[in-house]
Amino acid sequence: MPANLSKHIAAAFWPTLFTVLGLMAWEAAVHVTGMRSIILPPPSEIFAVIVARYDLLLAHLWPSIYLTVLGFLLAVVGGILVAIVITYSEIIRRGFYPVIVVSQVIPKIAIAPLFVVWFGTGTMSSLLLAFLISFFPMTINAAMGFQSVDEDIQRMARTFMGTRWQIFWKIRMPNALPYIFAGMKISITLAIIGVIVAEFVASQEGIGYLIKLAGGLLDTPLMMAAITVLSIAGLALYWIIAVAESRAVYWQAPAEAVGGGG
Amino acid sequence: MTSLAASRAMDMDVPAPDQERGRVSVLRVASVRKVYDQLEAIREVTLDVVDGEFVSVLGPSGCGKSTLLMMIAGLVDVTGGGIVINGTPVNGPRREVGVVFQSPVLLPWRTVLQNVMFPVELLRLPQAEYKARALDLLRMAKIDDFVDMLPRQLSGGMRQRTAICRALVHNPSILLMDEPFSALDAITRDEMAIELLRIWQVNRKTVLFVTHSIREAVLLSDRVLVMGRRPATIIEELRVDIPRPRHIGMTEDESFNRMVRHLRRAIETSHAG
Ligand SMILES: Nc1ncnc2c1ncn2[C@@H]1O[C@H](COP(=O)(O)OP(=O)(O)OP(=O)(O)O)[C@@H](O)[C@H]1O
Ligand SMILES: [Mg+2]
Repeated sequence: MPANLSKHIAAAFWPTLFTVLGLMAWEAAVHVTGMRSIILPPPSEIFAVIVARYDLLLAHLWPSIYLTVLGFLLAVVGGILVAIVITYSEIIRRGFYPVIVVSQVIPKIAIAPLFVVWFGTGTMSSLLLAFLISFFPMTINAAMGFQSVDEDIQRMARTFMGTRWQIFWKIRMPNALPYIFAGMKISITLAIIGVIVAEFVASQEGIGYLIKLAGGLLDTPLMMAAITVLSIAGLALYWIIAVAESRAVYWQAPAEAVGGGG
Repeated sequence: MTSLAASRAMDMDVPAPDQERGRVSVLRVASVRKVYDQLEAIREVTLDVVDGEFVSVLGPSGCGKSTLLMMIAGLVDVTGGGIVINGTPVNGPRREVGVVFQSPVLLPWRTVLQNVMFPVELLRLPQAEYKARALDLLRMAKIDDFVDMLPRQLSGGMRQRTAICRALVHNPSILLMDEPFSALDAITRDEMAIELLRIWQVNRKTVLFVTHSIREAVLLSDRVLVMGRRPATIIEELRVDIPRPRHIGMTEDESFNRMVRHLRRAIETSHAG
């Protein structure tokens, strides 16, 4: 697919150029103003820290990513299952679904300290916060996907005497796929936030802990190196989902996401 | 392509409309009434369609044509009266019915062939056998070059052809069509009407065809029924004794236009009344 590849390269050209220009401007600004690196280190210094202390960074990145992915996967599976229940149970749909929607407004981050009280300072708090915060948008998107089957399509399937089971697998599931991926894209970023916040509040490891630690030591270059590494990992996770989406939802452009916010 | 020859041969077997009396009734709608909540949509409709007959239903917008078709398809309950298909009362969707809706209603994640095979999957019919049939139908509808394409890659006409193949794949004895060409432009529409006739000549289904277009109704049908305004009844019935196979040039004939004028007057009377 050379045509496809060159299109991707073309699409990446301008964002890359602007990023590079931005980094160069940052670098120049720091040198020109003589800003101390405790306030704002130049990109070159951050890069040097990443190279020099990659083992420390990776050692802390790994548990964070591990918990993020685990919490995310639990949210995806749980969200889809709950969405199916919402779709097929009138009572749950009318009673529980509005509660989920309204609960979007609650800043779930604010309950992180409560989790520490309940589940201690270990990995459990991080995992549960990642799960909780990414579960709701996942559920709402999947539920919308299962339910938004076109009226005409349902009628068409009925003329061929489709069973509930057939209609679920052959219509509702594919119909929900774009929504599920839209939900996954929101959820993965939220899962990262959940883990990092939990690590801020109480943890002895993880990239969130490292950021807090470096902050406490006023080691700004290390802090920014940790943030950079975290951002790259987050982008990679998002990218994996986007690639899976373009494969799985081959018949259309990605659907607009609904819900979200932590 | 032997379809033309085949259709000619079949044409000779088909009795002239006058001799159709006495052929088996496939569809019988007896004093059917439909009331939605407070709204009386259909007051009384009675009609009889015999095996292999092509019958059109004309009527003003909102008179209950779709409602009638949906009741025959078993998708909507009747309020009164009864519907019988092949001797059995209708109380739900039936295998021997194929429906073509106003929009193609294709599944966007399925290719043309997969869409046509959809009923075969739902009805759990033997895949291999029906795949051959699906391909035959697609060839007849002249979309066999597009079998592996997705709906979004097709034109509106090709999508509706796919929908027609899908309605025919499980070999129903009745084909119900609800304004299947109304979303198409005038040229494609005429083309599709002729295509439909060609497919019909070969498959010889009983067809009940709902349309807004008087011209289309006359061009296609053995018989045209006119529904009046809501609450609807059948206010006019016309036999179309134009010989088959029909072609678009026949729309210029005086006898054709006489029938169109006659039907238009009937509809106008219903509007006035
Ligand atoms: N599900 C429904 N509930 C209540 N009223 C309905 C319903 N479906 C149709 N109607 C009403 O019944 C009447 C007949 O509708 P129907 O769709 O059968 O008309 P139609 O002849 O097919 O019209 P058109 O030519 O515009 O498609 C309309 O007044 C419509 O508002
Ligand atoms: Mg209608």
